[in-house]
Amino acid sequence: MRNIWQNVRTLYGIPRASALFVYMLQSVEYRAWPYLVWFWQTQQFGAVMHRRTLELTRAARFLRAGLFVGMLLQLAGGITLLYLGWHNLVTGGIWFGLALIMSYPLVWAHVVAVVSVVGQIAVIGPREARHIVLAERIFASHPGRRIAIAGSYGKTSMKELLVTVLGEGKKVAATPANQNVLSSHARFANSLVGDEDIVVVEFGEGKPGDVKRFTDVVHPTDAVITGIAAAHLDRYKTIVAAASDIFSVATDMPADHVYVNTEAEEAAAFMREGYQGYDRRGALGWRAQNISVDITGTRFELTKGTQTLRLASQLLGLHQVGPLAFAAALGLSMGLTEMQVVTGIGQTKPFEHRMQPYQLAGAWIIDDTYNGNLEGIRAGTELLASLEAKRKLYVTPGLVEQGDQTAAIHQTVGDLIAKSNPDVVVLMQNSATEHIQTGLTAAGYKGKVMVQTDPLDFYQHLDHFVAAGDVMLMQNDWTDNYR
Amino acid sequence: MKTVAVIFGGRSAEHDVSIVTALSSIIKPLELTKQYRVIAVYITKDGRWFTGEKLKDIHLYQSSKLEEYLAQTKSTGVVFDHGLKLLVPTRVGRKEVAIDIVFPAMHGTYGEDGALMGLLDMAGVAYVGCGVAASAIAMDKVLAKQLAVANGIPVSMFLSFQKADITDDTVGVVTQITAKLKYPIFVKPAHLGSSIGITRVQNDTELTNALEVAAYYDNLIIVEEAVQNLIEVTLPIMGLANNPQPALLEKPLTAAEDFFDFDTKYLQGGKKGGGKKGGTTGSQGYSQIPAKLPKDIYAQAGHVGLAVYTAFGCSGTARVDMLIDSKAGKVYFNEMNPLPGSLYAHNWAQAGVSKVALVEKLIEYALVRYAERQKLATTFDTNFLKQF
Repeated sequence: MRNIWQNVRTLYGIPRASALFVYMLQSVEYRAWPYLVWFWQTQQFGAVMHRRTLELTRAARFLRAGLFVGMLLQLAGGITLLYLGWHNLVTGGIWFGLALIMSYPLVWAHVVAVVSVVGQIAVIGPREARHIVLAERIFASHPGRRIAIAGSYGKTSMKELLVTVLGEGKKVAATPANQNVLSSHARFANSLVGDEDIVVVEFGEGKPGDVKRFTDVVHPTDAVITGIAAAHLDRYKTIVAAASDIFSVATDMPADHVYVNTEAEEAAAFMREGYQGYDRRGALGWRAQNISVDITGTRFELTKGTQTLRLASQLLGLHQVGPLAFAAALGLSMGLTEMQVVTGIGQTKPFEHRMQPYQLAGAWIIDDTYNGNLEGIRAGTELLASLEAKRKLYVTPGLVEQGDQTAAIHQTVGDLIAKSNPDVVVLMQNSATEHIQTGLTAAGYKGKVMVQTDPLDFYQHLDHFVAAGDVMLMQNDWTDNYR
Repeated sequence: MKTVAVIFGGRSAEHDVSIVTALSSIIKPLELTKQYRVIAVYITKDGRWFTGEKLKDIHLYQSSKLEEYLAQTKSTGVVFDHGLKLLVPTRVGRKEVAIDIVFPAMHGTYGEDGALMGLLDMAGVAYVGCGVAASAIAMDKVLAKQLAVANGIPVSMFLSFQKADITDDTVGVVTQITAKLKYPIFVKPAHLGSSIGITRVQNDTELTNALEVAAYYDNLIIVEEAVQNLIEVTLPIMGLANNPQPALLEKPLTAAEDFFDFDTKYLQGGKKGGGKKGGTTGSQGYSQIPAKLPKDIYAQAGHVGLAVYTAFGCSGTARVDMLIDSKAGKVYFNEMNPLPGSLYAHNWAQAGVSKVALVEKLIEYALVRYAERQKLATTFDTNFLKQF
């Protein structure tokens, strides 16, 4: 009863409803189908806009204003018909009027989806197509090395790593933040001056054929494949399909310009003769040894023949050794001095929400909430197991977009968590929770499990959960459109 | 899911402090455990009981909306019926809500002094914290010192007087005091907390005035000789009486000649004389955790604290205040606080116990003690009435 009343208040309040529909559309990147699925699965519309608020971009303002006016007009039309029907001026006016009044939220919730689709096809699509054609020309004629970063995880980290290390001796440009789709590649191409030694472009695959399309536009001279894991399986269906798309970046380039993180088992089947692997043992003929990891960072030696580099990075975890070794080795192969490489590696630090440690109430929190795949969880739990702490806490809502492998993958998540043996596991109540709990139980986990029903409330009160000497690892985060 | 009633506010000078304790250190952490249904029970300054979700919001108390809210809300009733039940008002009447555990967050009179605990014992409900005896003794500074002395725990020299002694013959009382104690001397009402009515005096005139002030607040007055070369420390402790666990010894960063009065403690954030650097902001302002003291003194203070906790029969949590003569290397028991402000969660956090873990442990102790009490026989059948 309470839900019904709240839904009525939310949906029939025109300003609130118009903001809500645009928020939902914006959260799924203006894709009509996920928006409609979300709309029809929602039981409490008042609780939808919970984690964040509507970002008032130009498109959002336009849609919100359109919705506001549309709903207002329908309501006014309904009231008018009701009035006319009541005074017997229009036959059936009462019923038509009531129908218009009752249905305006439902009607406009769907109209906005149609507008979004039409907008994509008629306006945004053609405009982006023009920009992409132009970008293709810019990339094709660029004299620098164009390094494509592809993979199921670790792309942004690798991009930042290369920018930081190679930037010590070369002029490097890279796609900003986690902007990694064609439209952002096109904007990035426009920003290139032409005198860059190295151009780094992140490929953010989401559906079959994405990487091929990116490759056709960017024309990379080198490719770094950061790893293969279960991600976006709602669209790819299988890991093999995802890996095939990711490895398509290497189709038309010399094999020795393809660098693959071989720590992910799934990558092995796609390795070809001449591809260069890297992992925690080393990269490009350099060997990593004497590795040590703590909450402040990762240290190791990189040796080749009589040469030895002592490297220290603020990045956390054994899984970072491979990418760090690769960035260092690539830098040296491109003519950077040893000093430049050591300095560059020394400047690498965790990126926001990616294995980023900070202190709270005397405890260490490792924020890895941008992680979104099983390999990241494997790396995180491995790190947690290796750290010294009075008490260890592990927090996750699970992984999104795992398709029909959701249950199996989350049971593996439970297994990995159990193996890192934290004192407390905090899960967020959602569709993945019971699978993680099954995995924990199957692995014989004996610690404490807490299930939080309100993730935002939990994150806002982290200081209540930790004390001096604790280490808490937080992995993954679910936005409002996932349940 | 068990229902926990957090009772706060009350007819006490520490009413507002109690609100902060309940809202910051008890209700939210309890809710975050997702193990309990938490009911906020607010007692007004005139003794009316209220429940409601809005009472969990600190902004209600910080604004002028509290009176408005209370005027529009029906008060809550209490029933003893196989335990404690609240009669919570609804739109059509009142509904009974059975309480499994009570978490008192009351400071001072009618709450921390054992009065509430007596009520809860009568109701036969599990509750967090010290029982009637420990609470009542702790709130009586004279009884507390006498109990400490009886258990071989060192205390500073003290005397006690009834209000009537002072009003009838102030000069005689002053003479008695100066014959046995040396200045500087502290004059305190025996039953008030939060340093209310306490005065530090250096001569007979100040002593006379201080006695009159203390007698204004209380019927029993305690007069203590000040400890020289003073270092004040406090030690939060939790656990059952037979297995107390200390947190970290804490040293308020005040000048040696200062003491924390109510204004300093709660209104100035403990910054009397300017907070010194290197401290932690706790419920009592700036303090050093753990206190930087010679190892043997630190250990001695720990022993005194635990001895007090056991001697008083504390349970759940308490905080023991001690005075150290730094030159003589001697630790004296000063006061025992059966419900530390904000549970001294800041100290426990530094000792490795989070706010959530702290309330979970306190609930656990409450349930253990309750189960043990249930095993005790308090009634038995006799043929006494038949013989009457």
